[in-house]
Amino acid sequence: MQHEAFANTEDFGGPDIVAGPGRVSRPGADAPYTGYELGKPYDEMFTREGKARAPYAALDSRLSTLPLEELNRRQQACEQSFLHQGITFTVYNDNRATERIIPTDLLPRIVTAKEWDRIERGLTQRILALNLFLRDIYGDSRVLKDGVVPRSMIYGSKHYRREMRGLPVPHGAYVNICGSDLVRNEAGDFVVLEDNLRVPSGVSYMLANRDAVRRAFPAVFRSMGVRPIEHYPLELLATLRSLVPFHEDVSIAILTPGVFNSAYFEHAFLARQMGVELVEGHDLLVNDNVVYTRTTSGLKRIDVIYRRIDDDFVDPLIFREDSALGVPGLFNAYRAGNVMIANALGTGVADDKAVYAYVPRLIRYYLAEEPILDNVETFLCREEKSLSHVLANLDKLVVKAVSESGGYGMLVGPHASQAEREDFAQKIKSDPENYIAQPTIQLSTAPTFIGSGVEARHVDLRPFILHGAETKIVPGALTRVALKRGSLVVNSSQGGGSKDTWVLSQ
Amino acid sequence: MFYSIRHVTRFRYNAPVREAVMELRMQPRSEGPQALRSFQIATNPRAQLYAYTDHLGNAVYHFNMLREHEDLHIEAQAVVEIGQMRPLPEHLDALEWGRYNAFNLSDDHFDMLEPSKFARPSPELEAFMRIADLSKPEGDPLTALKTLQRTIYDSFEYQSGVTEVNSPIEVALEQRRGVCQDFAHIMTAIGRVWRIPCRYVSGYLYHKGSRDRSTADATHAWVEAYLPSLGWVGFDPTNNIMACERHIRAAVGRDYSDVPPTRGTYKGGADSELSIAVSLEPTQAPVRHEDFLKVTRPMTSPTPTPSMPERLYHQQQQQQQ
Repeated sequence: MQHEAFANTEDFGGPDIVAGPGRVSRPGADAPYTGYELGKPYDEMFTREGKARAPYAALDSRLSTLPLEELNRRQQACEQSFLHQGITFTVYNDNRATERIIPTDLLPRIVTAKEWDRIERGLTQRILALNLFLRDIYGDSRVLKDGVVPRSMIYGSKHYRREMRGLPVPHGAYVNICGSDLVRNEAGDFVVLEDNLRVPSGVSYMLANRDAVRRAFPAVFRSMGVRPIEHYPLELLATLRSLVPFHEDVSIAILTPGVFNSAYFEHAFLARQMGVELVEGHDLLVNDNVVYTRTTSGLKRIDVIYRRIDDDFVDPLIFREDSALGVPGLFNAYRAGNVMIANALGTGVADDKAVYAYVPRLIRYYLAEEPILDNVETFLCREEKSLSHVLANLDKLVVKAVSESGGYGMLVGPHASQAEREDFAQKIKSDPENYIAQPTIQLSTAPTFIGSGVEARHVDLRPFILHGAETKIVPGALTRVALKRGSLVVNSSQGGGSKDTWVLSQ
Repeated sequence: MFYSIRHVTRFRYNAPVREAVMELRMQPRSEGPQALRSFQIATNPRAQLYAYTDHLGNAVYHFNMLREHEDLHIEAQAVVEIGQMRPLPEHLDALEWGRYNAFNLSDDHFDMLEPSKFARPSPELEAFMRIADLSKPEGDPLTALKTLQRTIYDSFEYQSGVTEVNSPIEVALEQRRGVCQDFAHIMTAIGRVWRIPCRYVSGYLYHKGSRDRSTADATHAWVEAYLPSLGWVGFDPTNNIMACERHIRAAVGRDYSDVPPTRGTYKGGADSELSIAVSLEPTQAPVRHEDFLKVTRPMTSPTPTPSMPERLYHQQQQQQQ
């Protein structure tokens, strides 16, 4: 049993030499790219003409020289590395098995310095606007009075927490940890697909992928000036510490739903990396409005809780009374300022897929700036004109329930059967406010090793934003990949895999 | 008019429980014609009480009890003064509907237009509205709400034990029977369908000498509807009366789930038995603080003795003289 997750730093391959410009392998023709299809979507590695893009040149020349068996061996070594660390993800609604190893891909996805600069500025702008929006709707509600966002959308949202009204949060930062999903459209521009402002997960895969893939291609990695991401746990720790006004003896705990949660590995991993407590609800108790954890040496006060459980379950006294995961009295301790909770409660109202459509307007409203990163075009079924458009074009659209996440409650029109579409149309008609629709976005494709060679698979990009006293984005991301050929669903809960993401320093 | 209220809640467990956490919403509000003159809460076993005001302006007390106990006794005592109620007009003009606009309504009003956990539309509610001829409001909003109040009074029988504290309105709608909580939820839900902001009021009703249907010596619930030219107006569909100087308001919310008088959790595998007693009596005006000071006579008692260091200081001075 390995205690330090990433203690083993031995390279997977033998000496890994970066070859100079040699023979040119064309996608769709030469090994290992014989099955590589270039279609309408933007491809991360190849231009439309089938020429490797500059940032991928080193990787391309390495791939062209490695025999297939060697690639398979390195892929296996990557998977072994994940297996040994027990990096798994639970898939719900699966009769066969609930615990799976998240498939990891051998090949890194590369983001240039210029691209990253725009992503970083765009996401910083976005998180500022979203936090101002949250502060507003739990405060003066200017945005509602000015008619920028319809009231019924906020007051009708199941994630709007009236208990948070008038409650100040440190630095006005409601969302301390955010994972935003970006995709690259056909023109090659990054656009935002959704914001995850509640309990975003996946950052441990970002770190684990790096550890594995760096060892699979050590020389390529070293030659490219990839920006480091290993300091993420320290940045997270600094963000959590910035939520309390004192600096010594800040006692922090990660509140996990427990071992059966799909992301339990990540909770344990982050707790270990940060050197903080990992607790479940029943480990904590509230006495006289102060939160304590039970330890073998008695009660120990907790100052900051990084909670990985949903709002509903945080405190059975205030929210869901049947919650066995939460801590009775926690919210009142929070209200009294005796404990800080990250993310703050009630952030889900702003990552609602309907509010998403308003984010560009919110950026203009609060910051008087133009959005740096665009949204995907979104039809709100609550608007009658959009509704009829959506119903008439179900075969071309992706329809999503506004308050669901993780790929549940959605319809991918072009891939659904007639019966599924008709079934979904009924659902939309009976509750239009609960649905939005977007054109099927041709997610960009990236080279993915599939055993018999390297093929193009659809990917997205989830960078993680930290926001406390200041905003920090570690230069990296979780790249999720739809491993089925042609599939656009990258969610790990729906059987997607992940890739390492290399952000270049120049 | 002054009322003295005593509200006793007792939880008994058939085995010891621990780590109890509880919130109380039983302090009468102080606004409009109602003024709170005194309020105390005592618990047994004793607990340190904390308080906050929720976003609806309700006073919430809360406490926790770590150690094992089998019995928890909470006693709240209040003295409330109810002043002159503003007389209500018989009806309003038809233009009142037009006054439900963004200019007259604030966030709190809009919040009371959305469906909530207990006060929400359902096929059963719609069926009742059709049968009872309530699908559309008739006349001005005040007249329509009075009709609604009377229709609920006429259509339902008051009977406790049919519904429980967590029953959805469908139970009462099917049985055509229920208690004040059910009637208040049904009226609130229909009022909101009509796009009139409606809220749930938890409190007490003084019964003596009246023909009220609701149970005497218990907590009560009714509805407040917002009328732009009058403000929040209270309707009591259980008794088919407008809220008057006998109604004492403790808390307001979207429905019962926002304002239960007690809400709590505990640890330990025990069943709990809850008993509640409420007494509500007219009382003499309590002696106000300023009056109390006036009746004290000029001070004849000895001047206060200085404390030790002071005395020492004085004594040292004397020695120097």
